[in-house]
Amino acid sequence: MGISGGGGEKMTAEEIMQKFKEKGYEVWLKEKEAGVKNKVKRKSIWIKLPRDEIKDAVEYFVEISEEYPHFSIISASDEGDEVELNYHFTLGYGKLLEEFAVTFKVLIPKNDLRIKSITSIIPAVIFSEREIKEMMGVEIEDLPDKRHMFLTKDFPEGIYPWRRDETAPKDTNKLYEGWKE
Amino acid sequence: MKYEIPIGPLHPALKEPIMIKCTIEGERIVDVDVIASQNHRGVEWIGMNRNNPVQSIYLAERICGICNFCHPSCLVIAVEEITGIEVPERAQYIRVIQGELERIHSHLLWAGVAAHELGFDSLLHYVWMVREKVMDILELVNGNRVTKSIIMYGGVRRDIKDEHIPKLRKMVEYYREGFNKIAKLFLEDKTIKMRTRNIGILTKEDAMKLATAGPTTRASGVKKDVRQDMPYYAYPDFEVRAVTPDILTGETVGDTYDRIVVRLLEVKQSLEIIEKALDEMPSGDILSEPKIIKIINQVKKSEGEAIGRHEAPRGEDIHYVKLKEGFEYLYAWKVRAPTYINILSWRPMLLDMQIADIPIVAASIDPCLSCTNRVTIVKNGKEKIITGDELHKLSIQKTRRLLR
Repeated sequence: MGISGGGGEKMTAEEIMQKFKEKGYEVWLKEKEAGVKNKVKRKSIWIKLPRDEIKDAVEYFVEISEEYPHFSIISASDEGDEVELNYHFTLGYGKLLEEFAVTFKVLIPKNDLRIKSITSIIPAVIFSEREIKEMMGVEIEDLPDKRHMFLTKDFPEGIYPWRRDETAPKDTNKLYEGWKE
Repeated sequence: MKYEIPIGPLHPALKEPIMIKCTIEGERIVDVDVIASQNHRGVEWIGMNRNNPVQSIYLAERICGICNFCHPSCLVIAVEEITGIEVPERAQYIRVIQGELERIHSHLLWAGVAAHELGFDSLLHYVWMVREKVMDILELVNGNRVTKSIIMYGGVRRDIKDEHIPKLRKMVEYYREGFNKIAKLFLEDKTIKMRTRNIGILTKEDAMKLATAGPTTRASGVKKDVRQDMPYYAYPDFEVRAVTPDILTGETVGDTYDRIVVRLLEVKQSLEIIEKALDEMPSGDILSEPKIIKIINQVKKSEGEAIGRHEAPRGEDIHYVKLKEGFEYLYAWKVRAPTYINILSWRPMLLDMQIADIPIVAASIDPCLSCTNRVTIVKNGKEKIITGDELHKLSIQKTRRLLR
């Protein structure tokens, strides 16, 4: 691996999409116009993949990119029987209008909430994985640091603030005693 | 012999509620652990469970008082992408001006704090006096110095009027004249140079691997700036270039001094952007839909997900938003402020430095945390965290005692 990147060549958003399509993943592109006199398109790529392949996919992503992919955040949402995680990255910084966002989308069934940690590839991911663990209740395998990140030490077990099911915190929708809905 | 020094949760040298646990050998720092204070305020939760999408704009503003334009801006970019709400051209320009005004005041605020961390308090007072000029302009244009409530889905809520423009130009002139003096004070002062040059170095490789953002990453030579890489609003018209310290000094070291250089140059860059925006601002509406109820209904009817990115003064802000048709609130909302990712770089910066360097190195990433912390009582070696209800009860008891 080079000073700040993988071993690959410079690639456009379309080429990255093609690479991941060849791997058999569902890939789609979103565009949004920006600018007034100089109209440009902001691009974001979304890649859906099976839960067990996240580590391999991110490894492959680092390998094929010219520069080290810039990790942004992992976001999560409760989708009923499943929990959805989105790993947001950006690639191609440094040149005018050439950057695009890459998001890996993973669905995890609620009866088997676990996913592999990618800290060994992207060290910056550690805070985010700790946050997902405490907020969503997803077990992160091989996570080097399992302490709470933002919640208090004495936060009750089995309660996950970002969930929308019976494990969501209760009675939080009041500010003070006299609060009326 | 190794010792452990806790800086924080509230420490006179670092005015943010976070704990940096440094292991030291003599004066040398050999290990660093950051404990994020468990001070989650549940802003995302309120946006996902209690507030309607318009209320969430004002909530997002309160994530950070200094970045009170950046956070709502990210949310608005994401929601506008999902719902397809159009934004008038004039509003796009006003948003650019607002963003740049915020950068000027935030960087000057930071410069003052940095001077204070170095023990140079007369410079702190001087820089903050200079900063008042942009705060006055913010008050004139928005009616408020902070939490300006300026942005709305589909535009902005207040116009920059014709009578404001000469005052804005005067402000640009004022800073241009004063720039050299501030630059000289910060960059040529012997003491500041000694305290910051080669102190807290972050290499380019670490900057990329730890995914740092904003001036912290640019000072290490990574030319990353959302305004340049993936422009939004009217930024494509301005062809912004990422500022790296070698523009001024000819080399990139990635130390605390370089982070001062980057921020100072960015103030200059912001002045140019504001001036160009004032020259080329198109006329027309500032809001595509003035009726808020209609906007709320449109957001409620939309479905999809998007990422909003904005180059805040401290670095890149990212919001992920997911909307579901018929769902009253934001279905998912993830806020990532620049400090969230930048505090990881404290470890490589602080290793092998001395205890006296901790305040300025920690402050050099311009940390912005939640400004709140939980009350923990430590008695006989036991810790107890006081809940909101208990605190409320205690304050009632105290009021009754005072009334007696």
